[in-house]
Amino acid sequence: MSDEDVKAETDSKPDADAETKAKAKAKAEPKPEPEPQAKPDAEAETKPEVKPIKPAIIRCQGIGRTFWRGKERLDVLEDLDLEIAEGSFEALMGPSGSGKTTLLNLIAGLDRPSKGRLDVAGRNIGEMSDAALAKWRSQTIGFVFQHFNLIPVLTALENVQLPLLLTKVPSSERKQRAQTALRVVGLEDRMHHRPQQLSGGQEQRVGIARAIVHDPKIIVADEPTGELDRQSADEVLTLLERLNREFGKTILMVTHDPAAAERATVLRKLDKGRLL
Amino acid sequence: MTLVGLSIKNVSRNRLRAVLTVFGVAIALLAFVFIRTTLDAWTGGAEHAAQDRLGTMHKVTFTMDLPRTYFDELDGTRGSVPGVKAATYQSWFGAKHPVREQEFFATIAVDTDTFFQVYEDMEVPAEQLAAWKEDRQGAIIGEALAKQFGWSVGDDVTLVGTIYPGDWKFTIEGIYTAKRRAVDKSQFLFHWKYLNESMKEQAPARAERIGWMTTLIEGSARGAEVAQAIDARFEERDIQTRTMSERALNMEFLGSFGAILTALDVVSGVILVIMMLILGNTIAMSVRERTNEYGVLLALGFRPKHIALFVMGEGIAVGLLGGLVGLALAYPFINGMGRWIEDNMGSFFPYFQIPPHVAITSLALAMLLAGLAAVIPAYRASRLDVIDALRRIG
Amino acid sequence: MIPISYNLRNLAVRRTTTLATALGVGLVVFVLAASLMLTEGLRRTLSLSGHDDAAIVMRKGSDNELSSTIADAQVGQIASAPRVKKGADGRPLAVGDVVAVIFVDLVNGSGKTNLVVRGVTSDGIAFRPELKVVEGTLPRPGTGEVMVGRKIEGRFNAVQLGGEIELRKNRMAKVVGVFEAAGSSYESEIWGDKDYVGQAFGREGMVSAVRVQLDSPGGFDEFALAVEQDKRLGLDAIPEREFYEKASENTSVFISAMGIIIAVFFSIGAMIGAMITMYGTVANRRSEIGVLRALGFSRTVILVSFLFESVLLSLLGGLLGIGAALGLGMVEFSMMNFQTFSEIVFTFQPTPDILVTALVFGGMMGVLGGLLPAIRAARTAPIEAMRG
Repeated sequence: MSDEDVKAETDSKPDADAETKAKAKAKAEPKPEPEPQAKPDAEAETKPEVKPIKPAIIRCQGIGRTFWRGKERLDVLEDLDLEIAEGSFEALMGPSGSGKTTLLNLIAGLDRPSKGRLDVAGRNIGEMSDAALAKWRSQTIGFVFQHFNLIPVLTALENVQLPLLLTKVPSSERKQRAQTALRVVGLEDRMHHRPQQLSGGQEQRVGIARAIVHDPKIIVADEPTGELDRQSADEVLTLLERLNREFGKTILMVTHDPAAAERATVLRKLDKGRLL
Repeated sequence: MTLVGLSIKNVSRNRLRAVLTVFGVAIALLAFVFIRTTLDAWTGGAEHAAQDRLGTMHKVTFTMDLPRTYFDELDGTRGSVPGVKAATYQSWFGAKHPVREQEFFATIAVDTDTFFQVYEDMEVPAEQLAAWKEDRQGAIIGEALAKQFGWSVGDDVTLVGTIYPGDWKFTIEGIYTAKRRAVDKSQFLFHWKYLNESMKEQAPARAERIGWMTTLIEGSARGAEVAQAIDARFEERDIQTRTMSERALNMEFLGSFGAILTALDVVSGVILVIMMLILGNTIAMSVRERTNEYGVLLALGFRPKHIALFVMGEGIAVGLLGGLVGLALAYPFINGMGRWIEDNMGSFFPYFQIPPHVAITSLALAMLLAGLAAVIPAYRASRLDVIDALRRIG
Repeated sequence: MIPISYNLRNLAVRRTTTLATALGVGLVVFVLAASLMLTEGLRRTLSLSGHDDAAIVMRKGSDNELSSTIADAQVGQIASAPRVKKGADGRPLAVGDVVAVIFVDLVNGSGKTNLVVRGVTSDGIAFRPELKVVEGTLPRPGTGEVMVGRKIEGRFNAVQLGGEIELRKNRMAKVVGVFEAAGSSYESEIWGDKDYVGQAFGREGMVSAVRVQLDSPGGFDEFALAVEQDKRLGLDAIPEREFYEKASENTSVFISAMGIIIAVFFSIGAMIGAMITMYGTVANRRSEIGVLRALGFSRTVILVSFLFESVLLSLLGGLLGIGAALGLGMVEFSMMNFQTFSEIVFTFQPTPDILVTALVFGGMMGVLGGLLPAIRAARTAPIEAMRG
């Protein structure tokens, strides 16, 4: 543990530098990311403070999710209604077993509701086949995990390219896009490092780069700061804020950490499968 | 980076295990190649044996001899069997080295005038051949036999007879080399006349007898027809003959070892099963350890078929790597040993080297079986539930 | 000490891996046991044919009956040598057989092979009390009747009750009986009348070898001296058991060398399999081992525990292998005997020694394969208990 702390601390300074540089670059470059988010990007920059009222990108209508453990019935979510507007940054808090991860999994299309209707980015999740869901996820959702979940044998650049392997994007462009994403998270000088050569904070930023490389509308983050020290956690949260504000990503974050929840624009609390 | 690249990179995940597995596959493959090479060397003698040479022997058993007069009828110049180009006769002498009696080699009494006309695939320098024909006690030996006992031209050698009792003295007059791989390079050839004259003195009943006759047939003649013609000639005699090509004869001899050959076949299959068990075990272990990672890939939108392909690809990569290492070990090891075997057990294995088709087959099998070994783990990995898999911390 | 049930449960939890590894070891043990059993089967088949108090006399230089010839007249001289036991009727117990081989077709038409034909007198049959006719009758002396050994009966064309075997042109032999001879190599032979067989193979007035019954096994030296001393006879005497042991030597050396080479190769493979599994086990249980260390278990105890688990694993495999090898007891194995170039049929013969050797060999694979992983386990620091 202490090793990692030292590493994170020594790394933090150049990182901060890199981040400001990345910011500068992102502004200087006319096309930091492929077209689709160019528009919200521009919008975000012109009117950063005032949030326009946008249609809900996520709509839960009376959804429930039931699990069976043998003969025992577990209603993790019950009759839940929720609307999340496009471009918002929401945090979901709640004690263990409150169903927040289940809700996140449903919204991310990893799971289907047992009842009710769930629309995400214009699609009815409950009606999609496994294959259709997988394809939809690969285009619409970016995942950020608590344990980073990078592939240890791949370099940062290769890890970030992973979601693009499912697309028909040619390899030279895959590489270019991954580089851009790593630049956004301020790791352009760590592209050829393997996960074990990175600090926890850096690993999570690679994870974020992987979550945005295919330009998803929605980013879901399950305890993104759970494994990080305070300073790295702050950097990651700042990055998420930026993705929300500058790139217009809708972000849904599950967290235990009040400091993290504070950074979100909306805070929701879940207990025993119901929103409070 | 590609999907295939990712799959192959996974091999290096757990280095120690990867090295052990590759080594295990390599050893298994080495054993497989060794057994297959042995089988091939064994049966290869038959497959490469001459088809244009016919052997004629006693109909009932090769252990009984024929009257020498049979040869006079058969020989193309004097006889009248069509299709016969040249003929010779010989007797199995069955002598042993006086000291190293365990080391088997063929000792044959041959007709000096005709032997090398029929055995065109054995080559003797002209002056050695001439000297041998002049020396009644002269012998020509194979290069492998010369090496085995350290004999060279001009040496006096005494052998102990088993079928023809007593001590027999010879002088090495020449050394033959083989022009075909099936030729036994450890034979000891000497004058049939030397044997016959001794028999006339010691055991007149055993004189003027020959073990078998060998004929070389015309290129255009058909072996089966000539063989039939030869046997027909002696059909009404007291002793009938059985004529067949050298290859058929060797095949028949091999038949007697059918059980051993089958056993070796089975054993070479068993080693492949062991290889699959090692591979399957390794792959199953890595799948188990990487469950969480597969969950991530599934979340990112990869399909179960991708996961299955990753697992299969990894298995095949290990198989290929193990196969290549195995072959790299096999060549120096088996061919080196093969040279020793050729020199010392030339009567059984005149040619003992890895045949190219065995190398190719074994490499292909290593990959194929690795793929097969990966099927069950791959299937299991592809059946993973995303959420379950994500929950497991790797 | 860490209880054994801990190891057993761990093996049970990782069922697939345990089974795969155990099977690997099992196959090695199987191959080793099978080849040793085969060698033993061959040795036993041939040595059963030999008696301690019998000697065989052949022409000097011959190492098998086929290449040896002795004139009928000499049989009497051999019989009158010292230490030869006398029968109830006061005649010395000495018999001469004519031995030849014939070519026969396999029943399934897949080839030909050589079979030994032995011409015997009625004394010759009486000389081998272990011989029992199990079907049909004994061949009548002086006729072309023969009996065939149990092991070759039905395997070759005409080699069955009522069959007609062609010894040579116009010399047919009618099979009237099937015999057993306590599992000895005689059971792979065809037996007929000495004179009839002798004529068929041009051996009138001679025999191939002479067997004598000695008054005691210790009498051999004196007997041999007498027989060999007479240089004019040109004969060699060997104790019968030694003769058969020599006859099996080449073939059994071949089989056991083959078996051992293969088993060694295989065992490296299986050892690596065990090593992979045990390394996997150790890696998976890292934090568990850390807890054990934190609780105060010493490195040695942990080393022994893991080594023990590995040995358990390979013994499990060894038992599987031995079980499979024992199943081979039913299989009859037939191959050419290098000595006579004729077919001999024998079985896989298990002995306690072989089973123990094979099992110990399997256990050794566990020890060698498990040692390095066990050392790694023993070197686990207690702090590992704190890590996920």
